[in-house]
Amino acid sequence: MPTIVHAVIGYFLLLVIVRVLARRPGSQMTLFEFVLVFLMGGIIILSTVGNDRSVTNCTCAVIAVGLLHRAIAWAKSRSRRIGAILDGTPLTIIRRGEWQQEVIRGMKLRPEDLEAAARSANVTRVEDIGYAILERNGRISVFPKEDA
Amino acid sequence: MPEHAFMSPIEDSVPKVGEVAVGEDLNFQRRWWKFERAIWLFFLLILAADVLGLFGRGWLAKAQRTDAAQTVTLDYERIERASTPSIMTFHFEPAAIRNGRIELYVSEDLIKPLGAQRISPEPRESSMGDDGITYTFPATRTPAIAEIQLQPSFPGLHHFRVQVIGGQPIDATVFVVP
Repeated sequence: MPTIVHAVIGYFLLLVIVRVLARRPGSQMTLFEFVLVFLMGGIIILSTVGNDRSVTNCTCAVIAVGLLHRAIAWAKSRSRRIGAILDGTPLTIIRRGEWQQEVIRGMKLRPEDLEAAARSANVTRVEDIGYAILERNGRISVFPKEDA
Repeated sequence: MPEHAFMSPIEDSVPKVGEVAVGEDLNFQRRWWKFERAIWLFFLLILAADVLGLFGRGWLAKAQRTDAAQTVTLDYERIERASTPSIMTFHFEPAAIRNGRIELYVSEDLIKPLGAQRISPEPRESSMGDDGITYTFPATRTPAIAEIQLQPSFPGLHHFRVQVIGGQPIDATVFVVP
């Protein structure tokens, strides 16, 4: 029983921490993020299983986290609000060629992130971007200006 | 949301930005940024409290008590962490030694909820009774020190009593954090 409680607490704690760490524009995981994932996961596992490292205990912990994850996925599918809280919403970085300074500051965007996204969309100049959207997974979708 | 999302008629319900259907909710995002600032402040406060010892193992957690008869001074942690070892130290004064020995009573609360694991030095004798255990140590002169290793199992507030036979009891409370 304590293991399941610890697993549930650990799951929500990690969920909050990872969520408030904010989306990293560019979406791809760097070494910087790998350090976080492994270190946090390793620390949480210590308190989750404690001294009981039996197969039974670890199996129960894994099942508890799996069920919890499924329940949350179900809740997200039922409620747009829960989805927004857990995953965020897309954000417009460039609207009709205009930079949205509030979003850029809030999401700590760098020009390099947008330039990389523009290149991926075969847009050679940032000035040619009509719309740029920061997606929930951190990817930046770029739509060129119609006259570009 | 419709009962069967993929069976409902196709309609553009996603909020648009210009002519692009984005699904942006800037008001929600503004509230989220405020929440983020608040939660990081909260995390900083947690770390500060941890450094100070509010969650055990720090300056605020350390406590010291001396009985009224000046037979023993007890060093312990008033805030412990569950499943984490700690040491409770007894500094015996000359008045604690009677007939070449020190008799130390510890209540049952110290044994079970606070998880007394090991006592050092090894007592010559242990006897049960009065809801606790009385340890007898051979002793001739001070300074004399005994240590009990604790490892609390359960979070919560735990009261305990220790007493050198011939002295006054020390009643103390330990809060065990999860």
